[in-house]
Amino acid sequence: MNKSTMNNESVNIERRSFVGKSATAAAALTIAPGVFLNQVHAKPAGEAVTDAKRWGMLIDTAKCASGCTSCVTACHEENGIESHNRPLTDQQWIRKIKIKDKLTDHVVSLPMMCQHCEKPPCVDVCPTGASFKRVDGIVLVDRHICIGCRYCMMACPYKARSFAHEAVDNKVDYQPRGKGTVESCTMCVHRVDEGGTPACVEACSEAEHGAMIFGDLKDPSSEISKQLVEHGGQQIRADLGLNTGVRYRGI
Amino acid sequence: MLQIKNLMHKSLIALAGIAVMAFSVFAYADAGEKPSFAPSVPHPTNGTTECVEDEDEMKKNHMKYILHQRDATMHEGIRTKTYSLKECINCHVPENSQVRYGDEKHFCSSCHNYAGVSIDCFQCHMDTPMGKNPHKSNAQVSKPVQSEIADATTTGASNE
Repeated sequence: MNKSTMNNESVNIERRSFVGKSATAAAALTIAPGVFLNQVHAKPAGEAVTDAKRWGMLIDTAKCASGCTSCVTACHEENGIESHNRPLTDQQWIRKIKIKDKLTDHVVSLPMMCQHCEKPPCVDVCPTGASFKRVDGIVLVDRHICIGCRYCMMACPYKARSFAHEAVDNKVDYQPRGKGTVESCTMCVHRVDEGGTPACVEACSEAEHGAMIFGDLKDPSSEISKQLVEHGGQQIRADLGLNTGVRYRGI
Repeated sequence: MLQIKNLMHKSLIALAGIAVMAFSVFAYADAGEKPSFAPSVPHPTNGTTECVEDEDEMKKNHMKYILHQRDATMHEGIRTKTYSLKECINCHVPENSQVRYGDEKHFCSSCHNYAGVSIDCFQCHMDTPMGKNPHKSNAQVSKPVQSEIADATTTGASNE
């Protein structure tokens, strides 16, 4: 009897101290109004990503200038993608397209890249497990496992993936690429893991268009979530039920 | 008579040879070193003196460390430096080095050539440190081709 009372007491003490610490932490969060701690998404390098976040993008086609290819240039520079003057087979991680409503003749310009689907068809068809979705929603190709069969390229409804036909001379250490595997937009995962923003979004903002917003779809206080709540955002080929991480406005 | 003299001469040389060999074995034993023909692991060139792991351990198991780190980084976003291939290169290959993988003098090749190991890491990964000057692509950016989004019942899509 005595023993169990003692145990209860010790449990209660632990619980009390835990509650106390949590209260202190909560106070620390609210003590400085105007400082948005939750907007900083850098994680310690040794920590694995979690499904507490889902990275996404919102593209406002009204702000996306027709003829501007800043995002494409920035992406391809960042990731060392170069043309071999073979437009049919050159790699493209992001491209600018025009969509025309045939009824009204209304034309919108938008960047098209991997839509980072919640249910990615490229992952479904991959025979080796090289095409995979990270728990934070970023869809990637593990080139170590990819055998270059290109099923995923066939499966992707957005033509987002391309095949590396040539050896890569201009290598970068944060984005290893080589001949014989499939590749696509990584949402600049090397930047995101360090708290950064994808190169295309940065370039769009530098070009003073600000048509692209990047952020955590699961965080209601993030800019992207606020914008989505206020103005909404369409998926391209929503009929496929893929729940894309990249959303568009004005299409 | 001449033949006997020759034979004696030859045996004397052989005896001397054996003595030298025996002495050298003792010499190794004295120094406490194992005789090895394998090249020694080149030490860090960036001033780092701390070893990632014991040299013998790294000789034997470096590939396991790198493989484990590879999957952790790729799939879980764990980007610690210690066991990453990038950091191997950053520490052991001098910045601005012109020596590429495959050359005898490259940190990785020096042993792999000896052991007859063929790897394909550097088809994608850099074999020299990138340093502060990223090798930005100066080639033409890929231009997209004519394509359409599949479901164009009321809308049509074309490349810019």
